[in-house]
Amino acid sequence: MKKIFTYTLKYILKYTSKLVLLIHRPRIIVVAGSVNKTFVKERVRDVLKKRGYSVRANSKNFNTEIGLPLAILNLPSAYSSYVGWLKIIFKAIGRIFQFKFPKYLVLELGVSDRGDMKYLLSIVKPSVVIITDITKRYMEGFRDLNCLLDEYKYLVNKISSDGLVILNNDNNKILEVLKNFKAKKITYGIEKQSDWQAIEINKNKDGQSVKILNNNIINNYDINRFGEHHVYAFLVELAIQKNINKI
Amino acid sequence: MFERTKNLNLSIIKQIELKASKYFDSISLAQGIADFDTPGCIKRRVEKALNRGVTAKYSLSPGLPELRELIEISLAKENMFYDWQKEIIVTAGSIEGITATILTITNPGDEIIIPEPTYTSYREVITLAGCKSVFVPLNESKGWAFELEQYEKAITDKTKAIFYCNPNNPTGTIYTKDQLLDLGKLAEKHDLFLISDDVYKDFIYDDTEMFSLAEVSELRKRVIRLFSFSKAYCMTGWRVGYLHSDESIVKEILKVHDCLVTCAPVISQYAAMGALEMGEGDIERFNKEYVKRLNITCDRLDKLKEHFSYVRPNSSYYVFPKIESGEKNSWKFVDSLLEKTHVAVVPGVAFGPNGEGHFRINFGRSEQDLIEAFDRMDSYLK
Repeated sequence: MKKIFTYTLKYILKYTSKLVLLIHRPRIIVVAGSVNKTFVKERVRDVLKKRGYSVRANSKNFNTEIGLPLAILNLPSAYSSYVGWLKIIFKAIGRIFQFKFPKYLVLELGVSDRGDMKYLLSIVKPSVVIITDITKRYMEGFRDLNCLLDEYKYLVNKISSDGLVILNNDNNKILEVLKNFKAKKITYGIEKQSDWQAIEINKNKDGQSVKILNNNIINNYDINRFGEHHVYAFLVELAIQKNINKI
Repeated sequence: MFERTKNLNLSIIKQIELKASKYFDSISLAQGIADFDTPGCIKRRVEKALNRGVTAKYSLSPGLPELRELIEISLAKENMFYDWQKEIIVTAGSIEGITATILTITNPGDEIIIPEPTYTSYREVITLAGCKSVFVPLNESKGWAFELEQYEKAITDKTKAIFYCNPNNPTGTIYTKDQLLDLGKLAEKHDLFLISDDVYKDFIYDDTEMFSLAEVSELRKRVIRLFSFSKAYCMTGWRVGYLHSDESIVKEILKVHDCLVTCAPVISQYAAMGALEMGEGDIERFNKEYVKRLNITCDRLDKLKEHFSYVRPNSSYYVFPKIESGEKNSWKFVDSLLEKTHVAVVPGVAFGPNGEGHFRINFGRSEQDLIEAFDRMDSYLK
């Protein structure tokens, strides 16, 4: 019974989301990777907002087969309540008739089993892909790292030539595996020479001050968060800001 | 023999529970546990992890990276900014975090100031570390508030830290932002650490604002903040919590944490992930119930006002009434109450010398138990 309900729910949410996306045709930026998706997503959402665009991102970590459609439709989860899910289904159908929809969607994609990426990309067609980091520590349902990497390979290969793929340059495996795709590539990193590279990071009581090199120009920035992962997220923000007209 | 443990005592709360267990019809309002089960969404997260076979191995010593990332996100919502990779450790409940912290920041002979009445186990951990607890009374007439001059007087050249519980157990007090900022200034002046046990931070029953010194960037190298999933998510049995502070302190605490437990139980870390991902609604549900139970408790205490007075708590699931008539020795009162009515509460002296003359009621138990316990108390006091 539970399986039938979950399958029906998935089906309704998937096709309602597809229909809503077909009607409104927002530009879709996806953030994928093992870590740091939330912070990168927030940076990208905020920079688009600052530029005056209408934008929405997944609330919480709604990034899986059920969560992603909920993020697209801007609906909450009903968790374990069957009645709650029935209400969500009605609301989801109602979303088809809404007039207002953001111009940009910034969506996290989460994969924990083989084939997850294929399923998620059967719902969304992103024009920008950001890969944060891929590590062996988050294998969940994957047999080995190569199986996990196959998911990301599938993702970048789905981006058309006028799209953008933004890659973490400090992860050798990412560069080795994710190389033959049609979209324009932008790299970011701390350790290795990249299109956007943090060449000096200093911690202070309010966060970090960072020197960033891009196109042979060094600029200084303050980040009000602690940890290298926030520097990576900030590099993505700068890359998006610079390429906003191409997105 | 047993030099290290000779001055340690088993918690009075556990002694009371043990005594109460001898009566088949006992009602315990003693130990700090609610009568709710762990929410279903948390159990399902654990079930998923079990089925995937990811719970059998140790995690990294500071905890699962994905959990620490979630903790950083949750802290940021409360205006606290800490790096999950270097400044957050997942602990085996908050008591392990407390133990690791005190062993890290003190040397034997050091003193730690504790505002009291407060949680009983702090002093045992301090004693275990070879240090001395210095009690500073909270002011009951001002709603169990801090009085800064009392701390100033208690500070000596051996003082290492001020250790407080906010919201406080057993009084349910939420310290005000001004009181805490004054405490922060005092810690800076005397170069002290501040240990903040915020285990009840999610239990807010009115419009009182919760503030933590961990929000103050100037204090990040002094404040060590602890949280446990036990109370907010009804997960006392899972033994999982976390601590956070500046990298310079956390890297030292991590060495002790590694010695004590290697890592927090991995299955419980997945439960904690479920709590942070999906448990928000359950906290709201529990709080609605706790408000009802608090109102029942206060109504019943109001009817016994010739015997007890109390400060209505803003938080936690405890009320800490003062005994106004009859036997005022808290141990004797509690013993007699248990013997005659089979209702277990905790003597106030368990929470420090300033708790004498009081007792603690846990109103997190079921409405039925609360009503029955007060019915028995009514008969006992007639």
